Amino acid sequence: MTNPIFWVGVLTLAMIYASLAMALNVESGWGGMWDLGIAGLLAAGSYCYVILTAGDPDLDMRFAPGLSMWVAWPLSALFTGLVAFMIGAPALRLRREYFLITTLAFAEIIRQLVVIQADLTRGTLGVPNINRPFDSFVTGREYNYVLLGIAVVAAAVMYVVTRQVGISPFGRTLRAARDNEAVALALGKRVNRMRIKTFVLAGVLIGATAPVYLFYIRAVSPQLFAPGITFTVWTALVIGGLGSIRGGLAGAFVLIVFTEAVGLIEVDPSHINILVAIEPFLVGLLLVLVLRFRPDGLFSERSAFGAGSRTGGAAAGTATGSRPAGASQASGG
Amino acid sequence: MQNVVFGIVTGSILAVATLGFALVRQTENFLNVAHAQMMALGAFVGVVLVDTYGMNIFAAGAITVVGLGVLGVVLSAVFFQPVRHQGGTVLLFTSIGLALMMYAAILALFGTQARFYPDVSGSLHRFAGIGIATNELVIIGLAVGSIAALQLFLNGTGLGRAIRAVASNDDLARVRGVPVRTVSNTIWFISSAFGAMAGVMLGVLGAVNTEIGWHNILIVLAAAVLGGLRSITGVILAGLLLGIMMDVSALFIPTAYRPVVAFGVLVAVLILRPEGILSIQRRKDAVVA
Repeated sequence: MTNPIFWVGVLTLAMIYASLAMALNVESGWGGMWDLGIAGLLAAGSYCYVILTAGDPDLDMRFAPGLSMWVAWPLSALFTGLVAFMIGAPALRLRREYFLITTLAFAEIIRQLVVIQADLTRGTLGVPNINRPFDSFVTGREYNYVLLGIAVVAAAVMYVVTRQVGISPFGRTLRAARDNEAVALALGKRVNRMRIKTFVLAGVLIGATAPVYLFYIRAVSPQLFAPGITFTVWTALVIGGLGSIRGGLAGAFVLIVFTEAVGLIEVDPSHINILVAIEPFLVGLLLVLVLRFRPDGLFSERSAFGAGSRTGGAAAGTATGSRPAGASQASGG
Repeated sequence: MQNVVFGIVTGSILAVATLGFALVRQTENFLNVAHAQMMALGAFVGVVLVDTYGMNIFAAGAITVVGLGVLGVVLSAVFFQPVRHQGGTVLLFTSIGLALMMYAAILALFGTQARFYPDVSGSLHRFAGIGIATNELVIIGLAVGSIAALQLFLNGTGLGRAIRAVASNDDLARVRGVPVRTVSNTIWFISSAFGAMAGVMLGVLGAVNTEIGWHNILIVLAAAVLGGLRSITGVILAGLLLGIMMDVSALFIPTAYRPVVAFGVLVAVLILRPEGILSIQRRKDAVVA
């Protein structure tokens, strides 16, 4: 069906969402921090990269150092980490719902700042023609394969990094603190400091993914960072399995391939509204169905950590029990 | 002063929307993200009834409010009841899924074109140099009236008492024989109706577009958190305060910053005053095993 280039694009997008979902899993799945501000962090990383690499005088940007992308890439990751710290330091004093609302609000503030600071970011006009790596060697349609390669490498690196975090003592303590904060505190774990570190780490990882997203999109504008993208990443992670190492990867793959494939259905131009509506509808429907019939997702956290040792399995067992625990806490309120 | 009046109008709408939201939060124990899509749906259904079918604005408003109230009950039965036992976070994400589906339905049914209520603003009244249009007066009046009616209903009727019982301790209420299912349906009806009413009001004041929902969920969340979710008075005050601050800030800083002001206030309050409403939550979180 259709040409291979289309599916190369779909796979690239799936890999990008997978990277974001895996980064989100570190803070939300293991850290228990329900972050609805991914769009904001992605915006911070993207605009940092765009501004640092911008050198085209026609674009009339006030600050355009025109750095090499290989310098700008790590800098945007660091910058996003810094932004995450600025958000996390105050926001992490708050719990679940309040934390979630605060991160959502911060993301929206970042997006509005991008719109308002038009002399720096070109506001709603956006920045077209973003520099992409190796595009002087490979041009035209073949470049899509290069892009897929970059996205796959990025997702693979993300998988290895998050897996290392997940199986490290740090990751185990993080999950322990999520499941029973009082015990973790009593054992002398510095829970708050650990959470800040995790939040900043997720920021750095998202900031490092941002340029790959830009290579794919090719032009940046504030609408890209509406809350919608946060919900898509969350949906991917929930479908795959919150807390499992492979969850983000599998969920993003299923979600993106599914929504893009349905987009292929031939629709009469007079029904363009329906075409626009298909994607949010499917994302929403998948989210609702997975939560109802397979709330642990395709891969559960138990399956991710249960194989290690008996104690590991027991820990993961209480972890999957964290949802009902949240329920009893909520109904007690 | 003129901006304070605008702020009071914005704040009244916000208070109505947030009350509906807070009611669900208190009795069903989750943040219903789809609430703001109900506002958007209300704005669209109202504009279609008035603009396309030439209906009187009040008749259209009444039909919209009652119709969407019933829709809210149906949606809750289909989407939320089956996953209720799984707790707050599953319900929250289900509501995000529902919000996306409602957003898609709005896109598919009404298209992406912005729509406007035909001229319903009425004449301009002047009091001591401050202008206020008839529709703004009506909005304030309706907001006050509906909130007062809700207050009377919650305090003066048996069902109202049952709702408050469920809000303060639903297990105990169930054990004591409170009709939990009826209470839940009533809550969803009131909440959706309030959302729809706020949506129609928003539409009357400005343009109706498909992004109304996503734009307003943040402001409603902000008002709900500021108000503390527990008391009706708190929610009303928070709604008015946010409305006034957003509109008055327009005098000092560019209007583009209007939403940033709302979120800035939210973040500032959460960070400067995490005790109070939050301290209880926090202690509870720390001890839940």
